[in-house]
Amino acid sequence: MRGIEAAGVCIPRLRISADAVADAWGRFSGTGIEEKAVPTADEDALTLGIAAAEAAMAEGGVDPRDVSLVSFATTTPPLEEEALAPRLVRALGLSESVSVRTHAQSTLSGAQALSACLSATSPALAVASDLPRGDPAGADHPFGAGAAAFLVTDSAAVTHLDSATYVDEFPGVRYRERGDDEVAGLGATAYERDAVRTSVIEAVNRLDADVSNVHAAAIHQPDTRTPTRATRGLPLDTEPLRRGTVVDRVGDAGAAGVPLGLLSGLASARGDDRTLAVFFGSGGGATAMLFEGSADAGLDDQLDRGERIAYPAYLRQRGYVGGAEVAGGGAHVSLPSWRRSLDQRYRLVAGTCPRCGSLAFPPEGVCPECHRNVDFDRVELPRVGRVRAVTVIGQGGAPPEFTDQQRRDGAYGVAIVELSTDDGSATLPAQLTDVDPETVAVGDEVRAVIRRIYEQEGIPRYGVKFTPTGT
Amino acid sequence: MTEAYVVGAGQSPFGSFPDESYRSLFETAFERALDSVDGGFERERIEEAFVGTLGVGGRQLGLSGPAVTEHVGLHGIPTTRVENACSASGFAFRNAVTAVRAGLADVVLAGGYEIMTDTGSDHTKWWLGVSGETEWERLSGTTFAGVYAQMASAHMDEYGTTAEDLSRVAVKNHRNGARNPNAQLGFECTLEDATSAPTVADPLTLYHCCPTTDGASAVLVASEEVAREVTDRPVRVAGMGASSDRVGLFQRGTLTGIPASRRAAERAYDEAGIEPGDVDFAEVHDCFAIAEIVAYEDLGFCERGEGGQLLRDGVTDPDGALPVNTSGGLKSKGHPIGATGTGQIVEAFEQLRGGAHTQVENPRYGLAHNVGGSGGSATVHVFERSAEGSA
Ligand SMILES: [Zn+2]
Repeated sequence: MRGIEAAGVCIPRLRISADAVADAWGRFSGTGIEEKAVPTADEDALTLGIAAAEAAMAEGGVDPRDVSLVSFATTTPPLEEEALAPRLVRALGLSESVSVRTHAQSTLSGAQALSACLSATSPALAVASDLPRGDPAGADHPFGAGAAAFLVTDSAAVTHLDSATYVDEFPGVRYRERGDDEVAGLGATAYERDAVRTSVIEAVNRLDADVSNVHAAAIHQPDTRTPTRATRGLPLDTEPLRRGTVVDRVGDAGAAGVPLGLLSGLASARGDDRTLAVFFGSGGGATAMLFEGSADAGLDDQLDRGERIAYPAYLRQRGYVGGAEVAGGGAHVSLPSWRRSLDQRYRLVAGTCPRCGSLAFPPEGVCPECHRNVDFDRVELPRVGRVRAVTVIGQGGAPPEFTDQQRRDGAYGVAIVELSTDDGSATLPAQLTDVDPETVAVGDEVRAVIRRIYEQEGIPRYGVKFTPTGT
Repeated sequence: MTEAYVVGAGQSPFGSFPDESYRSLFETAFERALDSVDGGFERERIEEAFVGTLGVGGRQLGLSGPAVTEHVGLHGIPTTRVENACSASGFAFRNAVTAVRAGLADVVLAGGYEIMTDTGSDHTKWWLGVSGETEWERLSGTTFAGVYAQMASAHMDEYGTTAEDLSRVAVKNHRNGARNPNAQLGFECTLEDATSAPTVADPLTLYHCCPTTDGASAVLVASEEVAREVTDRPVRVAGMGASSDRVGLFQRGTLTGIPASRRAAERAYDEAGIEPGDVDFAEVHDCFAIAEIVAYEDLGFCERGEGGQLLRDGVTDPDGALPVNTSGGLKSKGHPIGATGTGQIVEAFEQLRGGAHTQVENPRYGLAHNVGGSGGSATVHVFERSAEGSA
C-alpha cells in the first residue's frame, strides 16, 4: 500500500519562550504557544528542508537515485522566484531525471506536496519547510520554524487511506502582499474562524471514512485553539487533537505546521491506529488526509533539545534588527565557479589518485601527493570528521560577506576538518554552526550539515558547515 | 655568474600617513636608498626595476610598477610589478639579484609599497582576505588572522606552545621597534598587555597581530664591479632561496609549519654554504606571533616544536645568540604588504654595515625571510658582510 515509508524532521536548535516575547511587548498574541523554534542566520526554508529530507532518506530504504519525484512546500522560499527543489536534488544526491515541484504561496502547500507524492507511483519525497515572518509587534509573535519530510513509497509503514479536498473563496485570513516578506491577516476574527472551520469540516466530511476513532488529528494550527475551534461539530475528542498539535512547542510553522503535527500523531500511534491531517490555506480551501500506522521521525528528541535565547537575540537571529548590506563587497567567487563546486559543497566529493591512491579535496589540478595530472576517481568523503585546527572570528571581525550573518548570529568558529577514509584523509576549511565556538577544540568530532554560506549578487549560496557530534 | 651586492637600501617611515600617497612614500624610500650609498648614487645608473605591491584598495591595479618608477625619475627603464601577496618585494628582490647575476644589468632597483590605512575597515578586510585561498578558505568565513590562528591552535595542540609564548614574540619585537624611528608601533608592551589584549581570532590577541600599514622600501642591487666602485662596505647576497606552495593552509601537508619557508631556507643556506647556526641575526616574517615561532622551526633555528622554548630562553633577544627582528618586525615596525620584503632587507643591510638602531655585535651573516599569504610563497635571502677589501 502506498503511504509514508519513512519521515524526518528538522526543528532549529534555538527557542524563545512566549514569556520572553510577552515581556518585550507587554502581551503575546499566540494562544497556547509556550515556546517556539527560532531559525539561526544560516538557516532558511531550504536548509531546514534538506536536514529533514536527509533524515527521512537515512531512515528509509530507498536509494537516492531511485527517488522519482521531489515536492517542496514553503511559504518562505529564499528567493521569490526561482525553483527551489533543484538545490535539494543536488544536496541529497538525487537523480538528474527526478521530477521536481515547488509548492508555495499558502499554508496549504504542505498538503499539495504530500498529495503529489501520494499520487505518484514510484518513490517520492515530500518536504514541507517554513519559517514565516511578520510584524514583530504582533503578527510575528506565534511564528516559529521547522521542516518535515516524507519518503512516500508503495511498501509503506504508514498507509494512506484517503484524501479529500474542499475549495471555496476565503481570502484575507493570512496573506502577504506582493514584495512584502511579512505575513498579515485582516483580523476579522469571526470571518476568519468561519473560513477555517467551514473549510476543515467540509474537507473532512468528504473523506470516505469515519474519523470518530482516530488516534490523532493534526489540524491547521496557527495557535493551539484553532484545531479545537475548526473541528467543532466533528466527532473529535481533545486527546487526538492534542496528539496532533505541535504549535505549542514549535510555534506557527506555516506550511510545515500540519506535517509536523502529523508526525507527532504518527509517533504516538500503535498498530493500526489512524491519524488525520487537515491542512487549511487562506484563499481558501482545505485538504484532509487519513493515514494508518505509526512512524517515529524523532520529533520529540529534537523538541527536547532546544537552547533558549532572549528576545534581543531573537530579533537579531531572525534579521528583524542588525542585518545589513555592507559596503566594500566580498571576495568574488562567480556563480559559475560556485556551481562547479556543488558536488564538494554538498556531497564532499573528493578524488582518489589512480596512480598513488592519495585523496584530493577539492579534486582539481594535479594530485597533491604525486603531482601528476591524473583523472581522479570520485569518492564521497564521510560526513563525520575531526577538527585539526580551529579559531573563533569574534563579533565585528568577519569578512564583509559574513558581516550580516555575524551581526545576527554572533561570533563563529572556523575549523580545518579532517575527513578520513580507508585510503587516507582530506582536510577542508569550514565554518562551525549550532555551537558555542569557544567550546570547540582540536580533536573534537564534528559532522557535516548543509547551511546557507553567504549571499552574493542576491543569490544565496549553500554548502557544508560542521557541528559537534557531542561524542 | 657575477656576484650580486646590496649597495644601498632605504625605507620610508612605516605607519599611517593621510598626507602621503603611494608615490610620495616610494619616493622617500627611494631617495633614502640613494643617499645610503656611500658618496651618493646617480639614479640614471639604474637599468631596471622590480616593484612589489598587492594593490590594497585597488588604487592602481594596472601598471603599478611604472606608476612609481616614473615618479622618481627612472624614466624609460623596464619596470615589472611583482605580486606575491606579502612576499611581493621578497620576490622583487629575487628578480633584481637574478638580473644582476645573469649579467643583464649592473644596477637594478628592487622595492615595494602599500597604502592600507586610507580605506574603510570592510574595504581593507576585503583586500586582505584576497591573499588567502578564496573559494574555500575565505568562504569558510575566515580572515587572515583566522588562518594563522588555526595554525596556532594546531601548534599549541601538537607541541604545547602557549599563549604566553605568542606574547613573548610581541614583547620582544615591540622592545626592538621602540628603538626604530621608522616603526609604526614604536612602543614597548608587557607580557600582561599582550596576553590580556582583546582577542582578534582565538588564540591570537591584538598584540599577536601586525597592524595595517602605509610604507615603501627600496634596495639597490649591483654587480661586483659597480659595488666595488661605489662603496667600501657592500653587502653580498650570499644565498637566495624561494618556493611556492598551495595557497590554502588546508591544502598543504602540515598545519604547524610552512613548507615553502623550509624549502626556501634550504636553498639559501646551500647556496651560501652555511648552516642555520652560522646566522648572526634574522628578520623573519612575523605577521602574526605564531608565524615567528613557526619561522624559527622552518628556518632551522631549532627543532620542530621548539620555537616557544627558543623565546623562553631569550635566544632571539637582541643580546641572545640569534637576535630576530631587531627592526621590530612586522609586528612593531609594521607590515605594508608590498614593502615588507625589501623593508626587511633594509634592516639586514644596516646591521651588516653597523648602523642599525638595535645593532647586533659584529654580525657576519644575516637572513631575511618573507612569506606570502599563509605560506603560498616564501623567499629567504642570506647576506654577508664584506670582509675588508673583498669587494
Ligand atoms: Zn597521486
